[in-house]
Amino acid sequence: MAEIRIEHVTKTFGDNVAIDDINLTIEDREFLVLLGPSGCGKTTLLRAIAGLGMADSGRISIGGQDVTYLPPGQRQISMVFQSYAIFPHMTVHQNIGFGLLMNKVDKAESDRRVRSAAELLHIENLLDRRPSAMSGGQRQRVAVARALAMEAKVLLMDEPLSNLDALLRLEMRAELKRLLADVEATTVYVTHDQIEALSMGDRVAVMLDGKIQQCDAPNTVYESPSNQFVGSFIGNPPMNFMEGTIQRDRDTVTVAVGEHEFSPPEALQPLIRDLSSDRITLGIRAENMETLAAPSSDTVPVTIEVVEPLGAQNLLTARIGGHRLKVSTHPSLDVAAKQQVYIRLPADQIRWIDPATESVLYKR
Amino acid sequence: MTTPDTATSASKARTWRYRVVPYLLIAPAIVYLAMFFAYPMYEGLVLAVYDEDALLPTRDEPNLDGSEVSKIPQGTALAIVDRSSQEVVGDENPDALTDPWYQVTADDPTGSPITGWVSEARIRVRDEDAAGAPVSGTVRPRLAATSDPLTDVYEAPNDRSEVIGKLEQRAPVEITDVALLEVWFQVRPADDPSAAAGWAPSRFLQVFEDGENGRVHRGTDGEFTTAFIRRMIDDRFFGPAVRTTLLLMVLIIPAQLVLAMVMALVIHARTRLSTGFLYAFSLPIGMSDLAAGILFFSIFTGNGLLNSILDALGIIDGPYAFLTADTVRWIIFAIVLAELWRATSIVMVILVAGLQAIPDETLEAAELFGASYFQRVRHIMLPLLRPSIQVALILRTILAFQVFAVVIALGGGDVVTVLANESYRQYFGLRNNNVASAYAVFILLLSMASAFFYLRAVRSEPEARPT
Ligand SMILES: Nc1ncnc2c1ncn2[C@@H]1O[C@H](COP(=O)(O)OP(=O)(O)O)[C@@H](O)[C@H]1O
Ligand SMILES: [Mg+2]
Repeated sequence: MAEIRIEHVTKTFGDNVAIDDINLTIEDREFLVLLGPSGCGKTTLLRAIAGLGMADSGRISIGGQDVTYLPPGQRQISMVFQSYAIFPHMTVHQNIGFGLLMNKVDKAESDRRVRSAAELLHIENLLDRRPSAMSGGQRQRVAVARALAMEAKVLLMDEPLSNLDALLRLEMRAELKRLLADVEATTVYVTHDQIEALSMGDRVAVMLDGKIQQCDAPNTVYESPSNQFVGSFIGNPPMNFMEGTIQRDRDTVTVAVGEHEFSPPEALQPLIRDLSSDRITLGIRAENMETLAAPSSDTVPVTIEVVEPLGAQNLLTARIGGHRLKVSTHPSLDVAAKQQVYIRLPADQIRWIDPATESVLYKR
Repeated sequence: MTTPDTATSASKARTWRYRVVPYLLIAPAIVYLAMFFAYPMYEGLVLAVYDEDALLPTRDEPNLDGSEVSKIPQGTALAIVDRSSQEVVGDENPDALTDPWYQVTADDPTGSPITGWVSEARIRVRDEDAAGAPVSGTVRPRLAATSDPLTDVYEAPNDRSEVIGKLEQRAPVEITDVALLEVWFQVRPADDPSAAAGWAPSRFLQVFEDGENGRVHRGTDGEFTTAFIRRMIDDRFFGPAVRTTLLLMVLIIPAQLVLAMVMALVIHARTRLSTGFLYAFSLPIGMSDLAAGILFFSIFTGNGLLNSILDALGIIDGPYAFLTADTVRWIIFAIVLAELWRATSIVMVILVAGLQAIPDETLEAAELFGASYFQRVRHIMLPLLRPSIQVALILRTILAFQVFAVVIALGGGDVVTVLANESYRQYFGLRNNNVASAYAVFILLLSMASAFFYLRAVRSEPEARPT
């Protein structure tokens, strides 16, 4: 059992609050991804779990044991650093076996573990080399092998793929996912790459400004973002947003965007009616809109500004009521710029956002 | 579009530039090295092994046109065979025996006028002009009855030239010119009567009172010699100087390295006090070695700080003399302390710089993988500091061969002596540039040998360097 429990952890650097009253529980053997833009506090939170850089306040426990004041070496964790932090004066073998040597694992067992970790990462033929004679990708494998050889209950990874080139990153992403599925460790994986987060994590915790905005399964985070930031940060292209005006009639509420009117789903109508102002933001993902060549009952006529063929889909840029929308279409639909098309925005795919709090409205 | 042709010529021009630019950049460095490093080193080396005054050539005629008869080594005892005078060539030389001659105009015993040269020894000057130059005089009388009472007048200022007339004693003469002649001696080595005699100017000889014996004072031809090096090695201070220099090195450098490492680790620990420690530790860098020596002298001297404290604590009654010829151990101890105090911070600065070059994440990784502080020092910091330690060792060893002012300040330079002090003694005390240079070259060779040794012994494998 290695459940990580983070309670009210805060860390400031001078006046700069790096992480702000974080509460998070990571289940035993869960793969949790910490996702957020650069500078949002991901590394700081990970280091707090590792015990590098003491938190200012709050409690951290691992596997039921309070580790708040334990030094990193005694927390039964291992870690892959963003810079890899490989020891340049040691061979690959010595690097991978370093933690085992420090923890007085006996020689035969240590050799076995070094070898199997190296085999997992396909670097068994590099064991006698030194890091300076290796490529970035190979160093990254050494760093991962060193962490795996510890066979710790908790594995922390700080942007392990961010220093690799795009192709290698794609390859390593799949390989890491396969590897970590076999390693039965509770894993906290930090990244600023939303695709990495969605593709790897059991759960994704999206961070901004030292706070966790949402922590859910990748699908949930994608489909039902808790606020406008999460919607805009996750997905490529990001979620489209439009400003609308609430029109409160006697029994229904409608939202006007330019000359178009949208009717929110039944269940959300009371929530929207109760908003304090007339302003509301609509969010919808590119692939949730339907593009039609001919008008139909609930479609909006738009003029296409740009067509971007991306192979698997075509990305159209269209305008509704002064807002640019990205709409993805099947490549079989034959469209060109300046052409008029009709797009359907299904009401249940629209996310309704209170502009005052920027949080998405969901029925309770 | 560039055609392939222009593309290759452009790339050729570029590679040419890449090849030349680095050399242009290092040209000033090469000039600098040549001027301030290679040239003085060469000169010092030459001084140590080349004797400029070793041989004196002698000639078959008492002038510089004479052809060479032999070369006599400096210091050889001579028998003097003959003596002559020659007009001085070049400037006046204080060592030369000179002999002025006057050009005179007078009437000879027959009453006819005559103009020629007479030795100063035969003329008494009666009048001088405002500048002190002789204008007129009289011929000196000869006292010995046996000799010719008349004085010879020569055609040229040279007793080998033709006699063109004679003057009576006390005859008045007008002096129209003065020539300064240098005495030349015809000599042969005293212990070899069969050797051919040759002429040499007096400035290179030392003539004894009897006028028949002398020695070669210095020569004009150089010769490579190990004499200076032998003199250095045979010097009674050489052994003690080498021993003390090495002893100081052995006592100081290891202690210094350990101390500096501890200091560097204290500063690297980044506690609140680290900056304060850095300033405090590096304070002695700003002090000259002589000042440091004097500071420690004031601590160890008769009524100095140490005696005051010991006295106040009642450990001794009356001051104890630490720095005397009978307490050489105390002098050495004081020198070691002063050098540790003075020069450890330089080593520390080098090590601090080396420590700061180790990425934080590397040390954190070690900590995370279970290394204690001492394990991190032993397994991570020390191996990664190897290049810094190497630099520090080279620097400190070279400086240790040059230790001087502290030794002078604390030991006076006689009781406890070191190599640099002997070089100084030879140069200023004994005025022997060559032996002083021999010491300097010896120090240089030791420094180079130790640097080479460290570079080999503490060599960091190229692959092990931090990347
Ligand atoms: N050692 C530090 N000293 C001062 N500020 C820091 C330090 N480490 C991080 N910060 C600040 O804390 C915030 C969060 O940093 P970090 O956790 O590294 O972000 P992330 O890993 O998400 O990019 C940033 O604003 C950063 O400037
Ligand atoms: Mg980071």
